[in-house]
Amino acid sequence: MKLSKVGFPHIGNYYVPATYLFSNILHSDIVSAPHISQKTIELGVKYSPSFVCTPFKYTLGTLLEVIEKGADCVVQLGGGCRYGYYHELQRTIISDLGYDVKFINLVIAGKASVFRVYRELRRIDKHFRRFKSLYYLFITMKMVKYMDLIDDYIREYVGFEVNDGEMEKLNESMLKEFSGVKGYFDLKRVYKKYNSLIRKVKVDIPRNVTKVGIIGELYTIMEPFSNYFIEKSLASFNMSIKRYTNASYLMMGKGKFIKKNIKKYSKYVKYRMGADATDNIIRAVDMCRDGFDGIIHIKSSFCTPEIGSMGIINKVCCDYNVPVLFFSFDSNTSRVGLQTRLEAFNDMIEMRKK
Amino acid sequence: MKIGIPRGLFYYYFSDLWISFFEKLNISYIISPETNKEIKELGNKYSTDEMCLSLKNYIGHVAYLSRYCDVILVPRIDDFGKYEQTCTNFMACYDIVNNLFDVKVLDYNISLSSHDTLYKGMKRIGKFFGKSNKDIRRAFLCATIKSNKLNKVRIIDNINRLNLTGKKILLVSHSYNTYDSTIGKPVIDYLEKLGCIVIYSDLFDKAACRRKSLELSPDIYWKYSKESIGSIALCGDKIDGIIFLSVFPCGLDSLVNELVIRKINKKCLNLVIDDMDAFAGIETRLESFVEIV
Amino acid sequence: MNCYLGIDIGSISTKGVVIDEDNKIICSLYIWTEGSPINSVKKLVSELKKKIPSGYVVKGIGTTGSARKLIGLMMDANVVKNEITAHAVGTLSVNPNVHTILEIGGQDSKIIIIRDGVIVDYAMNTLCAAGTGSFLSSQAKRLDIPIEEFGKLALSSKNPAKIAARCTVFAESDLIHKAQVGYSKEDIVAGLCKSIVLNYLNNVGKGKKIIEPVVFQGGVSKNLGVLKYFKEVLGCDVTVDPNSHLMGALGIAILSHKNSDGRVYDLDIKDIEFKTVGNECGGCSNNCEILRIFKDKKLVDTWGSMCGKY
Repeated sequence: MKLSKVGFPHIGNYYVPATYLFSNILHSDIVSAPHISQKTIELGVKYSPSFVCTPFKYTLGTLLEVIEKGADCVVQLGGGCRYGYYHELQRTIISDLGYDVKFINLVIAGKASVFRVYRELRRIDKHFRRFKSLYYLFITMKMVKYMDLIDDYIREYVGFEVNDGEMEKLNESMLKEFSGVKGYFDLKRVYKKYNSLIRKVKVDIPRNVTKVGIIGELYTIMEPFSNYFIEKSLASFNMSIKRYTNASYLMMGKGKFIKKNIKKYSKYVKYRMGADATDNIIRAVDMCRDGFDGIIHIKSSFCTPEIGSMGIINKVCCDYNVPVLFFSFDSNTSRVGLQTRLEAFNDMIEMRKK
Repeated sequence: MKIGIPRGLFYYYFSDLWISFFEKLNISYIISPETNKEIKELGNKYSTDEMCLSLKNYIGHVAYLSRYCDVILVPRIDDFGKYEQTCTNFMACYDIVNNLFDVKVLDYNISLSSHDTLYKGMKRIGKFFGKSNKDIRRAFLCATIKSNKLNKVRIIDNINRLNLTGKKILLVSHSYNTYDSTIGKPVIDYLEKLGCIVIYSDLFDKAACRRKSLELSPDIYWKYSKESIGSIALCGDKIDGIIFLSVFPCGLDSLVNELVIRKINKKCLNLVIDDMDAFAGIETRLESFVEIV
Repeated sequence: MNCYLGIDIGSISTKGVVIDEDNKIICSLYIWTEGSPINSVKKLVSELKKKIPSGYVVKGIGTTGSARKLIGLMMDANVVKNEITAHAVGTLSVNPNVHTILEIGGQDSKIIIIRDGVIVDYAMNTLCAAGTGSFLSSQAKRLDIPIEEFGKLALSSKNPAKIAARCTVFAESDLIHKAQVGYSKEDIVAGLCKSIVLNYLNNVGKGKKIIEPVVFQGGVSKNLGVLKYFKEVLGCDVTVDPNSHLMGALGIAILSHKNSDGRVYDLDIKDIEFKTVGNECGGCSNNCEILRIFKDKKLVDTWGSMCGKY
């Protein structure tokens, strides 16, 4: 039987664990997409309906790019909110364009069911490694967790490094080694090595550090291209950045976190508001209490749940007197305008501190 | 104590039930008037800029009502089962309203997947007004029967219209848009002025619609979208044209309508309404659409 | 004596202010940018140079506005700052008690909230150009009214037409419609002014506590109609400084005074050849537009790459 070539959309650096997982449990080739670029979004915008949220356009763009590169089977993950329905429309758009590809969707309606995943994986490869897959899933989860831990550290200190770019270089070579690990212990060894290396990078931390928290919609927050590298710009102002939303949180911690906390924050939020809205409100309150100097809320335009949460986050920040900045990213946001606003934000925080 | 019912979103799904429930229990209520200019301006004032027009209007209704009543009824709907979810605005509405206004907000939660039913919710409201369990149960039963009856009459009326001769146009839209006086009403009035027979997508047997919707989109998991697109499959060849009416920027409709338009081969018009103040452009589009049907 | 020069290069107009040691304006100039910031700044500086009384030495130059980086490089400025900070500093120097600054310029509009002389919050327009100066001037052209007359005409209306101004496209079609139904010009103009105010407050000013004293500035502040409706809608007094259009330039001049390092600046830039060469990188699929800035045929800076290759 002919084996299919598998491609999938990318978010940030998470294509590394995803490629690792698929290449180990399937017998098929993996076509990895090029990094998200201007071309991706142009492709996405061209074939998307006009007012869907921006992640739809980015993922459609990547899917089209992998198909161009030769993939004949694309996997879409799906999730809560509107993400879960992307695949249906994307499949129609892609087949309307005349491509003959298998379209696999692993999660539906925000809930992953083992049977569905099994059934869909069998559609790609009838003899995929059933028992091995559990083991590799475990390794992948761990890998994602390690990546996020390193990322968190980098985010906090990258603004103060003495020689620019050291941490980023280390992170890149770590990802390279991650994609070739042989097992769990190998993974752990690599992680430990880079963890100590990255902590040894010289940083020069001033006494009164500006701490800024980033909250918002998950795709925009995790894919640096779609938020116009906002974290890099912030780091260039010598800020320490904190961000809670990452893949390991979304996969493992989210449900528990909301259940545990929602009662405590009943002043602002009583129910789950869909997608990440509730977590973001809780995080905003937390950050305000922890003495953060500012909060930045980013989302793609037309993200319904986040639009609902914006008013509440604004209220929270008014109550605690913490400045908050809202960004709504579209495919044609101007970089210059973004820079102006960030600079003003930085000036404002500095003026407040004095 | 007076309870206020905003005429928006939930109202168009539960109004019959609420009204007869409150009447049975002797609870005085007030319903906000049809959306008018004042309400729209209030909505614009309090809402976030990017919210969809329907939610903006809803917030306007709440702002209007907050002057005239003691509590406002804002339910929260999560889902009617695993594959019957609702728009996130329905999930977030209570929290949005509660944070915007100082008035007391009375809420109940419908989430069948965690066993929060409509009855539980109505019981909560009855209890808030100090009614006994027995009264509440009876009132709820009467209200359900009455609202079902009313609904059936409307459905029969709608289906009868399908058999008339003339240009029959199916208006696919959510109930809260179809009957809103600033969104759907002008469109319907204008269509009728042009001599068309308007069939409403939300006045069909809901369960049948939901079953039928899977023909068009097997993986759809929103209850209200299922019901509106199911009507297309249900009507089949009996209709001459379809108008998809949605508000800017409705999250569900942007995906679902686009998908359905790609899949069916009927004449259709995708009408996205941003603000009815610019009705002139819409009139032209409707007119030319009716001509080609 | 020392003096300091502040230049604010907007999309439509270029403003220059020279201040003395006490932050008092010595002279100022307001000219159109006409799409070429370099040429307009050259013109501005050479004319300002004539205006500066003899005996003054320029000890600092600051630039702000959308072309601040380019002009900062060209003038070798000691301060290059964004326009929000510059506007706030400028206004505070004139009116230290101000609590809210409303600003509508050519391309963007902003609101700055100040408490006790410190910026505590600000917002800029996110959506499109609806409700900014360029929109107003394009509509004025459509209605065949000189932009200077626009505000005065609006004042004479008693019954402003309602115009949807959430988006430029909608507004324009609505405008045409209203004209065709037979509204008088005054009513349409007044409606436009009012819709700009409402749009501004619903978009930029959403969720911001607007407390007196309120100052209105930017190019549109010269429009009496918009000012009138701001007063009407906000229900409080809104002041417009006679120098309201110069606030950004004033602010950046003050900042440059603060950060002055004693260097003496030469205003002879007329003959400096300043050129920007743009080309696409092509190193990856981003195809960044790389801008190389040449000053007297010498490469001084490169901008625009996303990856930091240059």
